[in-house]
Amino acid sequence: MTEVLASRSFRGLAAGDAIESVHNDLDSLWLDVPFVQDMDQMTFTTAVIESASNIVQHAEPAGQEPVELGVDIEVRPTLLQARVSAYHAKPPFGPMEPARPGEEAESGRGLALIQALVTTVTFERQDGTNTWVLSRTSQQD
Amino acid sequence: MEFSYEVKDSYAEVKAEGRLNMVSAPKLREFVTGVIANGSNRIVVNLENTAFMDSSGLGALIGCLKAARQAGGDLRIAAVQPQVKMVLQLTSMDKVLTAYGSAEEAFSND
Repeated sequence: MTEVLASRSFRGLAAGDAIESVHNDLDSLWLDVPFVQDMDQMTFTTAVIESASNIVQHAEPAGQEPVELGVDIEVRPTLLQARVSAYHAKPPFGPMEPARPGEEAESGRGLALIQALVTTVTFERQDGTNTWVLSRTSQQD
Repeated sequence: MEFSYEVKDSYAEVKAEGRLNMVSAPKLREFVTGVIANGSNRIVVNLENTAFMDSSGLGALIGCLKAARQAGGDLRIAAVQPQVKMVLQLTSMDKVLTAYGSAEEAFSND
């Protein structure tokens, strides 16, 4: 594994203000690694916010404890990677395949958008935690 | 995100400043619904100061478009920034929500 050049971690209740905190973390992260191209910053930020929002909107608690959102982001020389987790959550319901919403649909575009934005998306479930791992191979100047 | 609006000669211009995400999307929907209820059915959403939009924000714009059309008018977007343009293109919604260079241009040929 190559060296981690910059990173950010967030963990908190899965609620709207968590999305703003993660977005602020991403904005400050890019200031630490100005060599990451604008296109990579833009696409990766969008994918991370989409995934985190998906958890806030859809993850259901498995028991008494509320769902927590965790976002761990690492920047390596040619790789951007985020682990976006739902703690204390039930396994996702139904197939995790992108929907094909009609033109007038107001939701259902998130998963397809995430897949279009990053190089790979994988899902893991371990110890009651759902984790999406988003990776984007970044361009170098 | 902050919203404001101004009634012009042939349309109402809604300005949205900040991030159009799952937090602000319902607020945009509510704001535009209010503008329509006040008598404007030709709406331009000026996105000059909207640096970010996710699929929730896109869904809210589509909802506002439908509301404007149901009121006999239309909704158009203007001054779209690069990230918003990217989301519109990747979801193929750039064909449904046509982007104009400025708010003035959006209804200039009607």
